[in-house]
Amino acid sequence: MANTLRLYLTCIRNTLEAAMCLQNFPCQEVERHNKPEVELKTSPELLLNPVLICRNEAEKCLIETSINSIRISMKVKQADELENILAKKFLRFLSMRAEAFQVLRRKPVQGYDISFLITNYHCEDMHKHKLIDFIVQFMEDIDKEISELKLSVNTRGRLVATEFLKQFI
Amino acid sequence: MAAAAIHQFAECITCHAWSPDHSMIAFCPNNNEVHIYKFFTDKWEKLHVLSKHDQIVSGIDWSRSSNKIVTVSHDRNSYVWTQEGHDWVPTLVILKLNRAALCVQWSPKENKFAVGSGAKSVCICYYEQDNNWWISKVVRKKHESSVTSVAWHPNNILLATTSTDGKCRVLSTFIKGVDTRGSHASTSTDWKFGEQIAQLDLSSMWAFGVRWSPSGKTLAYAGHNSMIYFIDDVETSPAAQNLALRDLPLRDILFLSERTVIGVGFDCNPMIFSADETGLWSFVRYLDERKVTTSTSRASQLSEAFGKLYGQSKQVASSDTVEPSKPRGGVHENCITCIVPLRKGNDSIVKRFSTSGLDGKIVVWDAENHIDIKK
Repeated sequence: MANTLRLYLTCIRNTLEAAMCLQNFPCQEVERHNKPEVELKTSPELLLNPVLICRNEAEKCLIETSINSIRISMKVKQADELENILAKKFLRFLSMRAEAFQVLRRKPVQGYDISFLITNYHCEDMHKHKLIDFIVQFMEDIDKEISELKLSVNTRGRLVATEFLKQFI
Repeated sequence: MAAAAIHQFAECITCHAWSPDHSMIAFCPNNNEVHIYKFFTDKWEKLHVLSKHDQIVSGIDWSRSSNKIVTVSHDRNSYVWTQEGHDWVPTLVILKLNRAALCVQWSPKENKFAVGSGAKSVCICYYEQDNNWWISKVVRKKHESSVTSVAWHPNNILLATTSTDGKCRVLSTFIKGVDTRGSHASTSTDWKFGEQIAQLDLSSMWAFGVRWSPSGKTLAYAGHNSMIYFIDDVETSPAAQNLALRDLPLRDILFLSERTVIGVGFDCNPMIFSADETGLWSFVRYLDERKVTTSTSRASQLSEAFGKLYGQSKQVASSDTVEPSKPRGGVHENCITCIVPLRKGNDSIVKRFSTSGLDGKIVVWDAENHIDIKK
């Protein structure tokens, strides 16, 4: 089971290496503006084909590329209702602090749990391979974090139930 | 090492150009300024800051004989800078564009320059002596997307352009009063201004970095699908060759001679291409050769397999972690965006060239001693 995660992340890493070839490109539609073309989608020739990488039905990664920006959307593993709630709360917590991450999008793409938006400015300021490392590490850590949260909630629930049932001894 | 000199001028450089005697360099540090540095006995000193543009300067070209600098910017304007005494004096060129200007190049005779823009058009600008200003003529035949690079044919008439619709076009830029038709009597047809001579639809992806060979026989440009295209005899009967690269796409191309080409791009390493006697182009090697340690990676894979077999002592989580990608380890650390020849006198072969990239470095490469330049 751990090996499929490794292959999944390696595939995402290689795809990001090829897709993150961004350059400064001023807007064709509005003068003196410079907007991420992957968000506007006004000029279809500036967009590349989206790439969808699936680990299974519930876990996938969508990579949309344009000439000056790339958008990476993830759907994380949610095996049951508890993980559903935990993932929703945790990722909303992260999204509300998007400024601190710089490459995190404030609102995820429809149908996905969390989205990143990387523009040519990020590629100019930061090393490209470190940006890719961050995203792959993020995807790896998000699974661990939600598993730990689930264990913690279960442990806490069991503890509370034990304390409650002690009054009936 | 093939790199003769490495200079870290800024955090990010969009484009650069050398003075005719190669003692001064002008570059844009990814803002609205153009910095001019001069090399003194042992170090570079900043001499001038040309700050007339409002937005990012996207193209700089320094003419060789008339010592003029032309700059274009995302604010739709262009300036021609002339040195008067110790200062550089700007002259505004009204480009008649309503979108950003993306690239600029002086013509071989330096009596006009071409500007490619995000308005999906090309401007040809020339100096009018009577009114003492620069006139801009827009090529009427429109491109379908932004013009990413322009290249002049050695005959000073033809102009090749690439666009983000993937097409490469060859246009005539004959201007009455600036060009004389008699000197080009060899070309039987008389081309009008803005007439399209050829349109090449080889690339399905954005096209960049168009260049002519020194004699004008071969045209080369790069596509964003990691391809490079070579076209012979564009005006009469075009014959095209495609080369698929193994790695990331190219951004700019330079002909060292008729049969040797340097390509630079997102791989952060210049690539050498050459043609054999029959005219077949092929990839030779990377200029900045890296020591690829294949044996150690294979040994690590083997030890990893052994570790999995006798896996009680090893931690499964650590071995299953995906290894972080290594930095590329070349001279440039980010995408190379600009390559400029350092031509000496009237040499037809380029022996040195310089590259600049998004990491803010300008590297001078020695091509004479490290590349087998085919004539």
